[in-house]
Amino acid sequence: MNVTRRDFTKGALALGTGLTLGFPAVLRRAYAADPIKIGVPAVLSGGAAQYGLQAKRACEMFAKDIQAKGGVLGRPVEFIFEDTTGDPATAVRKAQKLVEKDGVKFLTGIVLSSEALAVSAKCPEWKVLFMSSFTGVGAFTAAKFNRYSFRPNTSGPMGARTVSLYMAESPMKRFYGVGSDYAWGRDSIGSFDRQMTAVKKEVVGKDFPPIGTKDFGSYIAKVKQSKAEACFTVLLGQDASIFFKQAEQFGLNKEVKLVTEIVELANLKAAGDAMLGVIGGSRYPFTLDTPKNRDWVKRFYDMHNVWPDMFDGETYQATEWLAQAITAAGSDDVEKVIAALEDSTYEAPEGKRTMRKCDHQAVKASWMVEAVKDPKYPHLIPKILATYPGDRVTPKCLTEEFA
Amino acid sequence: MSPAIAVEQLLNTAALSALLFLVSVGLSLVFGILRVVNFAHGMFYMLGAYIGFSIVSRSGSFWLALALAPPLVGLIGAALESTTLRFIYRRPPIYQVLLTFGLSLILEEAVRIVWGATAQAVDPPAWLAGSVTLGATVYPTYRLFLITVGAVVGGGLWLFLKTTRAGLVIRAVAQNGEMAGCLGTDVRRVRTAVFGLACALAGLGGVVAAPMLTAYLGMGIGVIVEAFVVVVIGGLGSIGGSIVGSLIVGAAQTWGGFFISEVAMAIMYAVMAAVLIFRPWGLFGDEE
Amino acid sequence: MKRWAPAGGVAVLAVLPWLLARHQLSILTELLIFGAFAMSLDLLMGYAGMVSFGHAAYFGLGAYGSALCLLHFQAPLPVALAAGALLAAAVAWPVGYLCTRASGIYFGMLTLAFAQLLYTVAFKWRDLTGGSDGLTGVPKTALWPGGPATAGPHAYYFLVLTVSVVAFVACRGVVRSPFGRALEAIRENERKFATLGQDPRRLKVTVFVVAALVAGVAGALAAPFRGFASPELMFWLLSGQALMMVIVGGMGTLIGPVLGAFIFLLLQEIASSYTEHWMLLNGVIFVVMVIFFPGGLVGALRGWWAR
Repeated sequence: MNVTRRDFTKGALALGTGLTLGFPAVLRRAYAADPIKIGVPAVLSGGAAQYGLQAKRACEMFAKDIQAKGGVLGRPVEFIFEDTTGDPATAVRKAQKLVEKDGVKFLTGIVLSSEALAVSAKCPEWKVLFMSSFTGVGAFTAAKFNRYSFRPNTSGPMGARTVSLYMAESPMKRFYGVGSDYAWGRDSIGSFDRQMTAVKKEVVGKDFPPIGTKDFGSYIAKVKQSKAEACFTVLLGQDASIFFKQAEQFGLNKEVKLVTEIVELANLKAAGDAMLGVIGGSRYPFTLDTPKNRDWVKRFYDMHNVWPDMFDGETYQATEWLAQAITAAGSDDVEKVIAALEDSTYEAPEGKRTMRKCDHQAVKASWMVEAVKDPKYPHLIPKILATYPGDRVTPKCLTEEFA
Repeated sequence: MSPAIAVEQLLNTAALSALLFLVSVGLSLVFGILRVVNFAHGMFYMLGAYIGFSIVSRSGSFWLALALAPPLVGLIGAALESTTLRFIYRRPPIYQVLLTFGLSLILEEAVRIVWGATAQAVDPPAWLAGSVTLGATVYPTYRLFLITVGAVVGGGLWLFLKTTRAGLVIRAVAQNGEMAGCLGTDVRRVRTAVFGLACALAGLGGVVAAPMLTAYLGMGIGVIVEAFVVVVIGGLGSIGGSIVGSLIVGAAQTWGGFFISEVAMAIMYAVMAAVLIFRPWGLFGDEE
Repeated sequence: MKRWAPAGGVAVLAVLPWLLARHQLSILTELLIFGAFAMSLDLLMGYAGMVSFGHAAYFGLGAYGSALCLLHFQAPLPVALAAGALLAAAVAWPVGYLCTRASGIYFGMLTLAFAQLLYTVAFKWRDLTGGSDGLTGVPKTALWPGGPATAGPHAYYFLVLTVSVVAFVACRGVVRSPFGRALEAIRENERKFATLGQDPRRLKVTVFVVAALVAGVAGALAAPFRGFASPELMFWLLSGQALMMVIVGGMGTLIGPVLGAFIFLLLQEIASSYTEHWMLLNGVIFVVMVIFFPGGLVGALRGWWAR
């Protein structure tokens, strides 16, 4: 039989219509009891995919753990993942699909702050609870706050605060700031600058390389020229890895103490030994030495064969806290869960955290770590230098300022 | 600015320009000779970096990666050209854009499937990993290596096209494919070979860039627009133009970034706009 | 049949809201917005032969224009739409003038350069545009003070449908007018056209501005629909996607790019729901389409109909 192009077109159109209407209902697992659905519109492709991957890993582990405990309120927890490709418009579209088509009442695991702000603005309209795990932008619990959004994780201002406290207590006096030229880089360097000035220390220079910079040579040269004692970097993902690699190639790490707002395993792996001795903040260092954390880390490694990075931890903790609130509320009704979350306490790997009612920011401890070598691990690991309790690093309610 | 910093900045310009040249010369070749806008070009660069990473992590030898990765990428490019692009040369050029766009999606996802989403470090050989003292500055040896590779490839390519018989054939096909075909050249083979060569050059760029930038998923998308800017400023199809274009963009980014950090990327667009407004076919391009 | 196909299409689109689930209606609204955007690019590409790599800038400008109007002044929606469209057209005028110095791919690269510069401005001018985070909380206001609200999904869909149909009719009018004929003549042979006495450049700038105006309207519709405007709306990736939509649908047909937008976006939506390797699937589909469907979707449909 001769398949003509006409037949092909007809067939394709028929198939297409069928697929459009039929939908991936076939791919959803059948559950005995009605599951609690949590939507995860994460970045699963493109440059930031390694972060979406962390959200996915953490959620998969949590789903397995909670299943073993009999679910939440006797119901299994189902995570539905969507790829936002790092674009806020796609993030809103995917979140909308999760809400309107899949009927999720909870969202988590949104990677970029621009995506988070766009989706969070829609949550009051959709009546959906957004439990962040990556979102760092200060405005999320300040100017752009709405009662459907919660931040159980460390924010950018909190990260900058941690580093500022550590640097204030250190003997160093002259600093240089290098931040990616967008909201996070600008805000954190600005915050650091203000806090250093307040303790009579000096930020002698600031640079804001655009996102995607390949050659940091000029900025490295300027840091050297400034005779600063330490360089505080707030660089996005891959840019940080590249900066540290090149900084080591130029010998900057020998002349100046390199400090960063977040010490991520992703950077430690990509930059390798170039990051030896770098200090910085961490939202979740997997080396936390408590029995609860050691157990969790081991189970994570057994399941995924890699050591958990910052956002693996933050996302797992966010979903665990959310599940805890759903249980406390006795139902997955969003209004009841919001009430249950506000002022609630969560037993985190490092101790207790409280969720503030006024701005839905968790009062959470923060750490200063150093990248060190340890023969037990295939890459550098974060060694905890100092722990700052939540009340010292969390900003005043609905603001990005500190007492 | 002290003389030491000035020297360092000049070397940085040379290194960045060398990298940009390696990435973009293939694009210029493909447009000049095949009249194809190869949107997937950045993906071959990324492929080179990842294949290089695999070779280095298996064998421990950077030189092996340098020798094997570019030809491998070239072969992949040639295979793709002969199975897809070849069929649409007669169509208006705009269709090639959609095809190469489709290829770029396929290649990016293929890299993600094979190597995963995490960025990978590639270590250069030990003697390249250190630094040299040049007067008052201490400069990374690897960047000097990069400058050397860029110069060698640039010079070699120019000589190849201008002096060898194969280069002559290529230029003939570029000027008038039909006539060249009538005179006995296997035009299809030449086209596949040129596309393969261009991809191999991009792959070489990737291998050489990896120790300085790591191998990461966003590499392909991150470099494609810069590559276009470089070749357009220089004039499409001109090797000399690519050299000049990469020097201009490299200088703009290095010096622009030094004085006003945030304009480092945007400045190349302003430069390109300025060049095109005054010479609408690029500096060395053909006035059509 | 061909005559009333567009009318039939509009009739189907008018009835669909009652047949579709809420989330499908949201997708359809978005498809119409992008359809209008792609159609505006076809004016440039298909009729004037000017391939722009920076058309998203005008979509983005339209979005920011309407977003600022709605956020700061709570202006009625039609005012916001007009503001967005006019902002896009106003910027397109000088840019178009400069870009038309060049032709072919160099023209395309110049449009790209200006689009990226505009993107950089939007990205960095935090006080006005919200910077990298964009402007959120953009409301859907009423059609006139005290008039019908547009916040509901049905209401907004019909607004988008109406504006799209008007835009389509307007574009078709432009294309069939002497101005449109002149553009096609320029596309075929610009030098010859110049010998006839008129200045081709003026016509090219005019069509550039008109295309930007329509793209601006589409962008102005997008901002309140999604509730935000961000710099990504001006980025070259979106320009590239618009280009793909026009080619997939069929250049120089006006309705083709609308269909192309539908197909392009639906492919992404459906593929990404089925598999995490949706990019691979999409890439293969595009490659196959280019090789087997030379005239785009419309070309294939016309060929099928003709048999």
